Amino acid sequence: MEAKHKYAFYLGCIAPNRYPGSEAAAIKTSRKLGIELVPLKGASCCPAPGAFGSIDLNVWYAMAARNIVLAEQMKTDIALLCNGCYKSIWEVNHKLKHNDELRDGVNEVLKTIDMEYKGSINVYHLAELLYDKNIVGVDKVRDSVTNPLKGARIAVHYGCHLIKPRKDREFGATEILDTEAPTWMEELVGALGATPVEYRQKMQCCGAGGGVRGYDIVHALDIANEKLINLQEVGVDALTDICPFCQLQFDRGQIEIEEKFGVKYNLPVLHYCELLGLAQGMSPQDLALDLHAISCEPFLQKVL
Amino acid sequence: MARIKGYPEALEAKLRDRYVYGEDTNGKFTETVEKISMSIPHMCYQCGTCTASCPSAPRSSYRIRKFVRRVALGLETEALTDPDLWLCTTCYSCTDRCPRDIAPTDVIMAMRNLAFKRDIIPVNFLKTVQAIYTTGHGVPNNDVNRAARVKLGMDADPPTTHTYKEFIPGIQKILDYYKLKANADRIVKEREG
Ligand code: SF4
Ligand code: SF4
Repeated sequence: MEAKHKYAFYLGCIAPNRYPGSEAAAIKTSRKLGIELVPLKGASCCPAPGAFGSIDLNVWYAMAARNIVLAEQMKTDIALLCNGCYKSIWEVNHKLKHNDELRDGVNEVLKTIDMEYKGSINVYHLAELLYDKNIVGVDKVRDSVTNPLKGARIAVHYGCHLIKPRKDREFGATEILDTEAPTWMEELVGALGATPVEYRQKMQCCGAGGGVRGYDIVHALDIANEKLINLQEVGVDALTDICPFCQLQFDRGQIEIEEKFGVKYNLPVLHYCELLGLAQGMSPQDLALDLHAISCEPFLQKVL
Repeated sequence: MARIKGYPEALEAKLRDRYVYGEDTNGKFTETVEKISMSIPHMCYQCGTCTASCPSAPRSSYRIRKFVRRVALGLETEALTDPDLWLCTTCYSCTDRCPRDIAPTDVIMAMRNLAFKRDIIPVNFLKTVQAIYTTGHGVPNNDVNRAARVKLGMDADPPTTHTYKEFIPGIQKILDYYKLKANADRIVKEREG
């Protein structure tokens, strides 16, 4: 399919540096859906909204603005695949567009590196582009599937920073504005041939954000563990996410939960792009699924 | 007719002043938090919806409602020195649900900014700063991942500051503008030697 929509692909840290399969999958699967993702050369960490926002919001604004300016120089909107990155890149872009005082402050800093924030581009999460029928839409996602993930029961972890705080957010597809009981991701899971599964406290956070995973890992894991208990209750073959940091918390977190709490779940955790890759016929090797801390094998046996 | 002291000016000035004054309170603190957070914690009527929504509350003594109250009362030191300040995961559930349209999450972030000015900050936050200063990434690449990337047919390093290192001095300039690296190095050294 000819690419109708082109975006500068903002990678962040955890996808390219821990789960490169999701980066590979994002590029490949998007191409089949009419989206071309081109590299955003020289981008850095978004920077981590929990750590940087806590230390000094002004640094967070300036550092995120630098990444946005790189895309402004390409005259291209940004697409990304991480909720944390969305919080930094989308929200800072939004704030700078609407607050002159903030923008002037940021531009004073950027001037020292010969950059200027203009507010000329928009920022999108790939998940919202996939759902938005003016860009891709559930039907086209369904049509792109060559290997339906039939028989697999998959639950969704939405994460926080794509959709919350709701009152600040703007989406092409208004369904995404539902932060209490959304189902748009379940629709995207269903489009792959899998069975989406609801569970208790679906919208609860993974526990990793705000610097808590680094500050008090047991506390952070306890929050993830509550979700794992609720998932176990309904019985799922995999958990899917749209945030590599949530993915790290649930995937590597299960190893840490076993060490610290002595419980084992063996629940495969896959980014939606990885699932989409499998459904479009990419192999587990194409997705480097062996890098996951929790083996995806039982799930793969079901769907391949 | 009874004499009314300075009415209406004095009354209006009093009504405009929404800060609390007392021995351990600092009205300036309320004002500063409101400015940084771009939120309105003085409007809190203590309903507790925030704490009831908070994933950190059931597993710790952290109470977001209490922190919002501390801001309204100007209890600066009590708020900034409480280690629970660092247990907010920034999930924004409270912000989504607050019936007074306060953003308790951003109120917490503002208080963390003020705590940092007193060198109150968990070291892990500073280590992220140090990592970004040298590599541009908070979570930098490693050898296992490089090998995996090559197997996927990708470049060993992503097309970020990892490949285009000429962008790193710009990042360092931004961080130095705020003296963030120097402060991070100093505090980490004080804590860890
Ligand atoms: S939900 Fe809002 S009004 Fe209610 S206690 Fe929390 S901050 Fe105050
Ligand atoms: S944003 Fe922080 S304070 Fe608010 S509910 Fe989430 S963890 Fe609790």
